[in-house]
Amino acid sequence: MDLRPVVAVVALVACGGHQEGARPAPGLEERVLAGGVAPSAGTTDIAAANPFKGDRPSAAEGERTFAAMNCDGCHGGGAVGFVGPSLRDGRWRYGGSDGQIYQSIFAGRPRGMPAYGGLLPAGAIWRLVTYLQSLEPPPNVPTESWR
Amino acid sequence: MGRMTLPVVLATALAPAAAGTAGAVQRGSWTMPANDYASTRYSDLREITPANAPRLRPVWTFSTGVLGGHEGQPLVVDNTMYVVTPYPNVLYAFDLTREGYPLKWKYRPPVDPNALGIACCDAINRGAFYASGKIVYNLLDGHTVAIAAATGKELWRTRIADLSEGETTPVAPLVVKDRVIVGASGGEFGIHGWLKGLDLETGRIVWTAYNIGPDSEVLARPGVFKPFYDRGEELALRSWPPDVWRAGGAPVWGWMSYDADLDLLYYGTGNPAPYNPEQRAGDNKWTASVLARRPEDGALVWAYQFTPHDSWDYDGVAEMILTDVVIGGRRRKALVHFDKNGFAYTLDRVTGEVLVAQPFVDVNWAKRVDLATGRPVIDSTKLTGASRGNIKDICPTLEGGKTPAAPAAYSPRTGLFYLATNNMCMDYQATRVTRIAGTPFIGANTPYHPGPGGKMGGFIAWDAAAGRSVWQTPEPYPVWSGALVTGGDVAFYGTLDGWFKAVDARTGKALWRFKVGSGVVGNPISYAGPDGRQYVAVYAGIGGDWFLLSGDVRSDDPADVRPPADFMPDIARHTSQGGIVWIFGL
Repeated sequence: MDLRPVVAVVALVACGGHQEGARPAPGLEERVLAGGVAPSAGTTDIAAANPFKGDRPSAAEGERTFAAMNCDGCHGGGAVGFVGPSLRDGRWRYGGSDGQIYQSIFAGRPRGMPAYGGLLPAGAIWRLVTYLQSLEPPPNVPTESWR
Repeated sequence: MGRMTLPVVLATALAPAAAGTAGAVQRGSWTMPANDYASTRYSDLREITPANAPRLRPVWTFSTGVLGGHEGQPLVVDNTMYVVTPYPNVLYAFDLTREGYPLKWKYRPPVDPNALGIACCDAINRGAFYASGKIVYNLLDGHTVAIAAATGKELWRTRIADLSEGETTPVAPLVVKDRVIVGASGGEFGIHGWLKGLDLETGRIVWTAYNIGPDSEVLARPGVFKPFYDRGEELALRSWPPDVWRAGGAPVWGWMSYDADLDLLYYGTGNPAPYNPEQRAGDNKWTASVLARRPEDGALVWAYQFTPHDSWDYDGVAEMILTDVVIGGRRRKALVHFDKNGFAYTLDRVTGEVLVAQPFVDVNWAKRVDLATGRPVIDSTKLTGASRGNIKDICPTLEGGKTPAAPAAYSPRTGLFYLATNNMCMDYQATRVTRIAGTPFIGANTPYHPGPGGKMGGFIAWDAAAGRSVWQTPEPYPVWSGALVTGGDVAFYGTLDGWFKAVDARTGKALWRFKVGSGVVGNPISYAGPDGRQYVAVYAGIGGDWFLLSGDVRSDDPADVRPPADFMPDIARHTSQGGIVWIFGL
């Protein structure tokens, strides 16, 4: 899948202006809904495996989605961390398995991570996961030594 | 309603009284963010002098238990100190009459944690306002609360902003008579910026004035709204492409002032959204502007845009300091403003005319400000946009030549302004961006590097009539603390690497410093204790933009480890996050 369906969905949402979100699926009441659109329930499985794992074209597409969906606005360019946490340090608040990262994007997390499951099809989310998994932790962890 | 201004020529004759609101407060109180409606951050207390300042010592500290950036400042009223923390916006009341300053009470409001993901730049709060026995402040998630100062009881709580539209509310309110004036952040989320006036007794929203859009919503009425440089109707609509203004930014996250004689309320507006200027052709009025309104009904009286069609994220929300300034032998009712864009403006606050505009740091995006038109003369090679690629070496950065987060101070005794500065430049790669509600709407990548000379900050004294600095002290890091100046001619500020400093207000000579445990992004205050002695209080607690930018300054989240900031890789060697209230005395 390419990005076109994603962009089309976003354009639709943007043109719709300040639309009220539909009632979110159970468990999502405390989440921000990206674009005001609630994910449908029942499509997340934290035990699921990433179908694109290690696929470089998928990672590149995920990187484009990371910018197109404004993920970089909170997590920083290259996902190094900004107002939101770093996503390339190999450390995860909510678990770093394929399915757990998917779940974080799909359903959002408390403290402001929006739920993107209402905007992004499963393939686009998996490609985002692929992109994040492709990132190398920074070589110099600055807490370790000072010269 | 308190004093407004002192002419510079008479400056040494009088000291300002602490400005009261609706009832007398004792001398030496600090009842509002900037101590007075003129936003001077001047205390007339004079026990601490350049001669004895080296003997300053800490007399009390208190951990707030919160690690977010501690911007803003405490209040002191009736021998009680009030402290608002960053999210979750706890309000502490300390009894200064008792040993160890124990708590009188503590107010813990409900605050939506999702605000943490909507606030652009850490979960900061810029402070409270005391009026008529109430402590009034904003919660990060879009609520204003009024708390009984004596008991800690919540009197009212009003929803003023909408998180789902990207609005958060770290701004400190200003209370004028029976109006509580509030605004919202969200220039990075494509909000439709506004100012609101609430009823002090009930919290009811009396008026809403948008900063952009049609005259009917901007409250620009024929015969009342008279900008100095602009003519015609629908200025804040016609200076935008159709409908783009609806998500055009113009947040209100800085500081407000009030002139009781003119009955005018002054505040600045933030950046237009998004950062990619090619998505919003036109001047984008009234973003990056100063607006003068009637507090009673919000009517717009004049407006002036510092940075038309802002292409660099130069918010205009910094404090508007109201003083009289003698220019060309003529005393003017002035408004002095140190903009993110690097120019210091001296305006006529009656009309909005620009009297003086000179750079106070290295500036290269504009050559000068044309006083005939009020417009900057822009260096077109520094214009940004998605089609223009990566524009290199723009000075100052979008952090500002001075950040609005760190307000300046003015001494009627020296006639000088005191401010923290940043000496950094940036590259600016704008990109096309789509607004998705609940997510950032930015559209630029803007890495920083140190400005000329390599020292990234400073603390300076400024002559607003001449438009030049009188002295300047370089600092190795950007300086993000507000300034305080006192009747003893001592100025105070703090640094990102955690020093709190006193300098001679006349010469800039360093007098004293103390390492306060975390970088300072708050604003010092001075007050008289129950013992009649002079004290100085300040928060330590690095954060705000430096939560985003400093790299590894946090240790509370093992799931978030960052590389150092490439433009100041060793800041984390000197500070980590914290949240400490400090009080110093002789």
